[in-house]
Amino acid sequence: MDDDLNVQTWLDKYGDYLYSYAFLKVKDRHIAEDMVQETLFAAIAAKNTFSGQSTIRTWLTGILKHKIIDHFRRQSRVTAIGDLVDQDDEDNLDYFFRNSGSWIEKPESFPSPESALQQQQFQTIFQRCLSGLKTRQAEIFLAREVHEMNNEEICKHFSITTTNAWVLLHRARLALIRCLKIHWIDR
Amino acid sequence: MLNCKQASQLASRLMDEELPFWEKFSLKMHLFLCRSCSNFSRQLDFLRKVSRHDENMPDFQLTDEAKQRIANALIDKQRSN
Repeated sequence: MDDDLNVQTWLDKYGDYLYSYAFLKVKDRHIAEDMVQETLFAAIAAKNTFSGQSTIRTWLTGILKHKIIDHFRRQSRVTAIGDLVDQDDEDNLDYFFRNSGSWIEKPESFPSPESALQQQQFQTIFQRCLSGLKTRQAEIFLAREVHEMNNEEICKHFSITTTNAWVLLHRARLALIRCLKIHWIDR
Repeated sequence: MLNCKQASQLASRLMDEELPFWEKFSLKMHLFLCRSCSNFSRQLDFLRKVSRHDENMPDFQLTDEAKQRIANALIDKQRSN
């Protein structure tokens, strides 16, 4: 069978991505796992309708988005649906830089990544910092750093411009570093 | 001469793509002279390393058990179709 259309390969290739996408929205491990399964079930049923117009990842994410919306509807968590709207908020870099362009809080050096990874606490703090990002920033950061998508893939997948991608990644990185500084370094 | 805000933007971009020659050159100059921004640039490397470290992201990856369970469910589903 053509690899591109083999559902089992989709689970290996895109399972983690779909899971992290769902987890960011529903914040529950079991529900997120179920959603990955439901998405792949739906994908089997709709396989013939995949037009090849988009990438498989984008197509699967589209199916997953509907599952997430259904989930919130069932829970009638109206407010949560607001979270699903992709807001590119107007917050800017003023939080980090003065008008003159100098740092408000000068970056200090961090311990080595190796030593951080040896601390159990670090992993918990890092995940909490990630979950605390604005949804859009977290999605893009995860796509880039965890799932190692390149800029071109990110722009296509999220339908954003290159400049948008730079800005979102930069903000996400600044926010994560700030969060780690407060909750990990200065603790 | 770049200010720190501009330099930090370029340093972040450099994590994702090659920069044009002059932008890269002015960034390197800035990093050479500015301790804060060179710390920031090392923090970016830090983020990349900890993010790409496999066991670091249980919240953002399917567990092996979940993967297996879904794989089995998919096989059942495809058989019944």
